[in-house]
Amino acid sequence: MRTSLNNIKLAEDYLNKQLPTGDKLLFEARMLLDHDMLTNVKAQRHAVELVKQYSREQLRTEIEAVHQTLFNNKQHRTFAQRVLSFFR
Amino acid sequence: MAAFNNTAQKREQLFSKLYQNAFPAVAAYVSKMGGSFDEAKDVFQDALIAYYEKVLVNNTAIHNTENGYLFGTARNLWLQRYRNKSKQLPLDGYGDDVTDDEEAAPSANKLLAYLATAGKKCMDMLKAFYYDKLDTEEIATAFGYSGVRSATVQKYKCLEKVRNTVKQQSLQYADFIE
Repeated sequence: MRTSLNNIKLAEDYLNKQLPTGDKLLFEARMLLDHDMLTNVKAQRHAVELVKQYSREQLRTEIEAVHQTLFNNKQHRTFAQRVLSFFR
Repeated sequence: MAAFNNTAQKREQLFSKLYQNAFPAVAAYVSKMGGSFDEAKDVFQDALIAYYEKVLVNNTAIHNTENGYLFGTARNLWLQRYRNKSKQLPLDGYGDDVTDDEEAAPSANKLLAYLATAGKKCMDMLKAFYYDKLDTEEIATAFGYSGVRSATVQKYKCLEKVRNTVKQQSLQYADFIE
C-alpha cells in the first residue's frame, strides 16, 4: 500500500487502541510535532463517526420499510389491527 | 459474524419477525402509560437498532430473551423520553439510547447528506466494514473486488476520501473539528 494508506491504517490502529505501548507513544509524539498529522487523525476519527451515523440511518430506513409492510400490507392485517387496537 | 448471515434480505426477515413477536407488548405498555402509537414505534425502532448493534454484530451477551431485551430497552427509552414529556433526561441515562449522537451540528448533517450521495459506494463499503462488521472476504465478494487484499486497499482509500472531505469541510466550518 502507498504511504498515505499505511498512515491511515496506523491511525486506525491508534484510534482503536490496538497499538503496542511503544508504537502508541511514538505515534503520539509524532502528532505533537506534526500538526498536519494531528489534523488528519482527528479528521479520520470524525470520518469513522460519520460512517456510523450513515450506517444507522441506513438501518433505520430498512426497519421503517419493514414497519410500513407490516402496517399497510393486507397479509399482516391481523397483526396491525391488534397493535392499533391498543391506541383506540 | 457468527450464526447470522448479514445480508439485506436476512435483516429484513429478522426485523419482520422481531417486530411481529415483540412490538405488540411494547405498544401495549406505551398505551397503558398514556403514550401514542408513534412513541411506541419510535422507541421500538431504536431498541431494534440497539439489538442489532450490540447483540447481532458485536455478540454482546444478554441475560434475557430476544423479546425481553427489546421490551426492556424500549420501555426504558420510553420512560426516558416521554414519561414527563419534558426534555430533561434522568441522571442515570440508559445506555442503550442510540439517539444521543444523532443530533449533530447542521454542518455535520450537510456533510453526511453530501457523502450519502457523492460518496455512496464508499460509504456503503465502510458501513460493511465498520458497522456490519462483515469479514473482508464477504466484503470482497459483495462489492466485486478480486480478493481480500484489494478490498482492504479499497477500504483505506475510501476512508482517506471521507477523511479528506471532512478536512475540506472543516476549512469552511471552523468549529467542525474540536
